[in-house]
Amino acid sequence: MFMMHTKLPSFIQQLKNAALRHGKEVPCEIKGLENLETAKVQSARTGRLEREIEELSQTPGVLRLEVRILPRVPETLHTVVIKVLGEDGKPIKAVLDTVGIIHPGVDCYLEGCPEVDDRRPPVGKH
Amino acid sequence: MTAARLLENIEEVSEMKLNYKLLPEGDVKGSKVPVSIAFVDYHDVVACGITMKRACDAIAAQISGPGAIHMFDMDAVTTNSDGIMIPGSMTCMAACDYGRIDPEFGFTELMEVPHDEQLIREEPHLRQWDINFPGHRLILGPDPDNKPLPVHNAVISGRSCTNNSATEVMNCVTMDEMLLFITGQMEVMKGKDILWGKTGEVISVGIGMLVGEEYGRIVPHRQYICGDTGHKSGVYAKYLKNKLPCLAAPKRVLAEHIILALKAGMIPGRHVGPSPAVLTVAKYMGYEIDCDNITPGAYLELGDVGIQEEWVRTPMAPISEEEFLARVEELLPGTEHGTLYPASELTEARSVEV
Repeated sequence: MFMMHTKLPSFIQQLKNAALRHGKEVPCEIKGLENLETAKVQSARTGRLEREIEELSQTPGVLRLEVRILPRVPETLHTVVIKVLGEDGKPIKAVLDTVGIIHPGVDCYLEGCPEVDDRRPPVGKH
Repeated sequence: MTAARLLENIEEVSEMKLNYKLLPEGDVKGSKVPVSIAFVDYHDVVACGITMKRACDAIAAQISGPGAIHMFDMDAVTTNSDGIMIPGSMTCMAACDYGRIDPEFGFTELMEVPHDEQLIREEPHLRQWDINFPGHRLILGPDPDNKPLPVHNAVISGRSCTNNSATEVMNCVTMDEMLLFITGQMEVMKGKDILWGKTGEVISVGIGMLVGEEYGRIVPHRQYICGDTGHKSGVYAKYLKNKLPCLAAPKRVLAEHIILALKAGMIPGRHVGPSPAVLTVAKYMGYEIDCDNITPGAYLELGDVGIQEEWVRTPMAPISEEEFLARVEELLPGTEHGTLYPASELTEARSVEV
């Protein structure tokens, strides 16, 4: 199943590379993944994103691209691990709980944008 | 009649005005309102012959910044978080920003609860329905199996979020928040006086004294047990929501709602939640309290805001309803730094063509 998901560092690099594919220096900044230490990213969608970034890097007047990744559903439920560490960082005990987080909706990242092409499938049909 | 004249008539009919009240975002009488809040009468929407969603879309188009749209059926009933039944209910809620409602997460209708004997047996606080409000629609939270967001009963558009079935609004970017108690929102709808202040520690604890409801406005599927604290936060409970601006009903109005519930046989700690306000009314007026069903965790949080277990358990000579209501400002704990304002001083009268 190696091909089904892309390593996080590869994902980020592939998106940045896609902006350069036509020989122009189009910087591409990826925002929203800073908190992830390790992850596997959906490969098929990675390819689509590469293609879209390549497409947009050719927009007349383009100087740079910004890619923002945010939760598809703007309320997320997280597991919280509260861990007791002792000598030499050895775990002694942990408590698991949850916390819900409400995020700004996608419109916050589209302010002033005159053209939005929404290619997202409906929730549940990804 | 010509086709052109027919079309003209249709346009005349379609150009109806929908009135609503707007609490504007920003500084209002010294409190920061995090998003604009529109208060809409469901019957006005019905009279315009449009859907609730279409009404919300039309109002959203008039609010350029973050906003919440709360719609009310004043002939329906709902329950407060502690299970006290209140005349009037929300029928839908919407969050809007940049003039639009997020098509996936920005709108939900709230659910009319079927009148079901089995449900009333299992949720005994609903006995207030037949006793105090027979024949009225009961509307609580959204359909738990068909709501836009998975965890809370909330809707989100851009910066705006309205949560807990339209009783808590927040700006997700500035992170400012405000509580709007149902009882206070009903007074806005009626154009009466509003208690405008800060939540304080008593409210922070009180809103955690929940009852379990299958279709609850705060949380569905009976996740809370009457007599216990939903917060389960111990000494931290009084700080959870203690510094928020809030819109409340005058204390006398709140007391009257609680008295009506107690007269219907509701026992705090058994049928309705042991919030400081409910316990205080019951205690002074001599109504039964199920002291043994209030959990140690709830007593801990209550004691932290001055409602000591010993006081709850110790008998005292009851005072009359008239005397309690006369001394309600002194006796009933609640919001801090509250000032009474006519609703018309806080909200703007608006209308939109629909």
